[in-house]
Amino acid sequence: MDLELADDRLFFQQNTRRFLERESPLEHVRELHRTEHGFDPGWWRKAAELGWTTLLASEEDGGGSLSGAPLRDAVIVAEERGRLIAPGPFLPTNVVVSALSAGGDPALKEAHLPGLLEGDATAAWASSGLPDDLRVEARADGGEIVLDGTAPHVEAAASADLLLVVVRTGDGIAQVAVPRTHPGVTVVPGRSLDLVRRFARVRFEGVRVPRSHLIDGANAVERALQVALTLQAAESVGAMDRAFETTFAYMGDRYAFGRAIASYQALKHRVADMLLHLESAKATTDAAARAVDDANPEAGRLVRIAAAYVKDTAPTFVQECVQLLGGIGVTWEHDIHLYLRRVTVNRAVLGTPERYREQICVRLGV
Amino acid sequence: MTTTAPRPAEGQLESLDVFRDRARTFLAASMPRRTEGDGPVSMREAKELQAILFDGGFAGIAFPRRYGGAGLTLDHQTVFAEEAAGYRMPTPLAVSVAMMAPTLLDHGSDELKERHLPRMLRGEEIWLQLLSEPSGGSDMAGVLTRAARSGDDWVIDGAKIWTTGANHADYGMCLARTDLDVPKYSGLSMFAVPLDHAGVRIEPIVSADGGDPHFFQEFLDEVVLQDGNLIGPLNNGWAVAHTLLYHERNATAGVGHGRGYRAEADAGDATGSGIDDLIALSRAAGTSGDPVSRQLLAEAHISAVVARQVSDRVMTGIRTGAFEGEWGSLLKLGMGIDAPRRGEIGLAVAGEDGVVWDDEAGDNIDAHSVRWLVSRTIAIAGGTNEMQRNIVSERLLGMPREVAVDRAVSFRDVLARRADRR
Ligand SMILES: Cc1cc2nc3c(=O)[nH]c(=O)nc-3n(C[C@H](O)[C@H](O)[C@H](O)COP(=O)(O)OP(=O)(O)OC[C@H]3O[C@@H](n4cnc5c(N)ncnc54)[C@H](O)[C@@H]3O)c2cc1C
Ligand SMILES: Cc1cc2nc3c(=O)[nH]c(=O)nc-3n(C[C@H](O)[C@H](O)[C@H](O)COP(=O)(O)OP(=O)(O)OC[C@H]3O[C@@H](n4cnc5c(N)ncnc54)[C@H](O)[C@@H]3O)c2cc1C
Repeated sequence: MDLELADDRLFFQQNTRRFLERESPLEHVRELHRTEHGFDPGWWRKAAELGWTTLLASEEDGGGSLSGAPLRDAVIVAEERGRLIAPGPFLPTNVVVSALSAGGDPALKEAHLPGLLEGDATAAWASSGLPDDLRVEARADGGEIVLDGTAPHVEAAASADLLLVVVRTGDGIAQVAVPRTHPGVTVVPGRSLDLVRRFARVRFEGVRVPRSHLIDGANAVERALQVALTLQAAESVGAMDRAFETTFAYMGDRYAFGRAIASYQALKHRVADMLLHLESAKATTDAAARAVDDANPEAGRLVRIAAAYVKDTAPTFVQECVQLLGGIGVTWEHDIHLYLRRVTVNRAVLGTPERYREQICVRLGV
Repeated sequence: MTTTAPRPAEGQLESLDVFRDRARTFLAASMPRRTEGDGPVSMREAKELQAILFDGGFAGIAFPRRYGGAGLTLDHQTVFAEEAAGYRMPTPLAVSVAMMAPTLLDHGSDELKERHLPRMLRGEEIWLQLLSEPSGGSDMAGVLTRAARSGDDWVIDGAKIWTTGANHADYGMCLARTDLDVPKYSGLSMFAVPLDHAGVRIEPIVSADGGDPHFFQEFLDEVVLQDGNLIGPLNNGWAVAHTLLYHERNATAGVGHGRGYRAEADAGDATGSGIDDLIALSRAAGTSGDPVSRQLLAEAHISAVVARQVSDRVMTGIRTGAFEGEWGSLLKLGMGIDAPRRGEIGLAVAGEDGVVWDDEAGDNIDAHSVRWLVSRTIAIAGGTNEMQRNIVSERLLGMPREVAVDRAVSFRDVLARRADRR
């Protein structure tokens, strides 16, 4: 959470919050649980009108940031989404929009960006296993690229119009854009701990696309990963923030032994530690977004620091909220489990904190 | 010839950019750079460095010029600290320059400020805090040291303990009880005590690592002082102590006047990883390829980086007005949690080599484990973790205050009850 929001960004944040409170309260999120894709396409179009899909596209491509710091602007949305466990393919669509806009072939952009930006279409980023365990191979065959393999745990794949697939290319890695309904693509929907986020296994069997669908280079993959991890951390930070507010308010109202439970030192001390974790999570996520926006040469390390810190901290933090709530905290009725589900999925999806700690060592030369 | 602007005249506030240029030029021309393998800054060197800062107009950056400061703001202090990151700074003077001097500035009489602040800012005169007592440190308002009237003078009797750096210091800010018949917070006064006074006896305390004594105990025996030695009004000592603790937490956390004086800057961390020492230790012990050790090393690095990031966040919040109140306590709590954890990580990556060694072992293989013995220091000194948690929950978050049995009664009654229970 950025402490230097200028007026236009503050306005954007408040607008986003109001939109979510009105159009996507938690009761609605619970109802979406029973739907196939976990979000309503009409609602997604409205969100796109608010600017959810355009921040990471260049102005030439019809996008544009509010402040010249696009990822920090997108972080505003991600945090607000986390606060209300919002549905919809925000992270994957933005990662793909950003990658297409920065490195896509003009014809590819023209075919897909307008729909994605307007909210008529959505995208999925098939990256699991990055970088050591990628299970989709691509080879060139004349003017075409042929994909074979399976990407597990791809968020929002079943509802996506476009898939951006991270592939192994013999000696390197790259990304290839594939329409979901393309021949040879099979999407097998799965289940997840999150009530409204859907994940699927995507199989590629001799899938052929034109060479222009390739976004080459490990740098572009790294950049996409940085965007994804930062948005994911921001979403978990928003969830922590709201879970804390809810729990804190409850502690003032709940009485035990003739006193508000907020008056017990054993609990106050834990709340103090929680505030430290919450502010630290906000600070490191903000620093990661700045580093990416500023093309800081240490951005890769700073993003991994934020990712590892928040992935690790958020689930324990929300479980602390459960503890402070007492018995009501382990019920279906209380909303805290929605938060716990979201941050627990975020812990593992796109890589565990354990993986990023190992990568940090490599980056430190250890 | 210098290419930067000269120091502007009194009354004009220099822009941060112009100031940054001026600071950069000054530092490059006048201050020694840090290099890999540097030892920590000694008190003697610190005094020399502080004098260089003072003569260049960069001591007491946010202090008024009439007291020897630079007449600028805490934002300028931050800019200076950023520029000074690669230089040897007078960190051992943090207590005197970044805690005691700001407190004197806030509460001292004009006479005290004019006499002492310029000398403190120049590093000529060193002050320390005489707060904690053998009977307790957390409950600072419960001090037993008495200051009694004797004609126009005050006579102080009592004992203080844990005072850092008494071997180098000239003055102490001493919290003493001036009225027993009111509740504990209302009967305290703060005095400036010259440590060379005949009634002051100072004895070293050896810490658990067996190293050179750096803290001390003082016996105050009929120390006669004049009214002019009072800092702030009579019986207003709690307000002064409160200010002092505020500056202390900020200085410890490296914010406020203490920006740039944080002792950690001495750690000799050439790569900025914050864990160069742990990496070296792990390599020496042959564990840097072990997956468990690598997880722990990364954890320590993440903690070090996140601590800096949250400190920057707090500074920004204070500047923009988003944060009000004692946020330094939150940072101090973070340090009190991180330091012991860092100690544990060192033990884990060093393994047996950290605790049992011989002449064939690498240099300093034991240093970490020895430091580990006193790694709770930062969780105790300057207000324990528990006290910071009380402050964060009660003053930052507004949670209900602890029930206190000694608040509404005279301190004389508090003492009587204590005696009864024995
Ligand atoms: C799965 C499950 C099964 C259960 N089965 C039964 C059952 O069969 N029969 C039955 O009667 N009950 C049962 N309970 C209820 C259980 O005993 C209560 O949930 C428990 O005693 C806590 O009470 P509470 O939920 O009202 O939380 P609260 O009492 O409101 O506590 C909220 C928070 O405040 C803390 N707190 C409260 N007072 C203090 C204090 N003085 N000092 C410090 N912290 C304090 C608590 O530790 C907790 O973190 C069950 C609960 C669960 C979750
Ligand atoms: C290296 C070092 C340097 C120091 N330098 C100075 C100095 O220069 N000047 C100076 O005046 N003092 C100094 N101190 C003293 C320091 O401020 C005290 O040690 C500290 O305030 C704790 O006081 P204490 O040691 O008497 O512990 P106590 O106050 O006796 O505390 C014992 C334990 O009880 C806990 N506790 C106490 N009250 C509460 C409460 N209300 N709620 C919950 N827990 C509580 C504490 O957290 C602690 O764990 C220094 C200490 C150290 C270790």
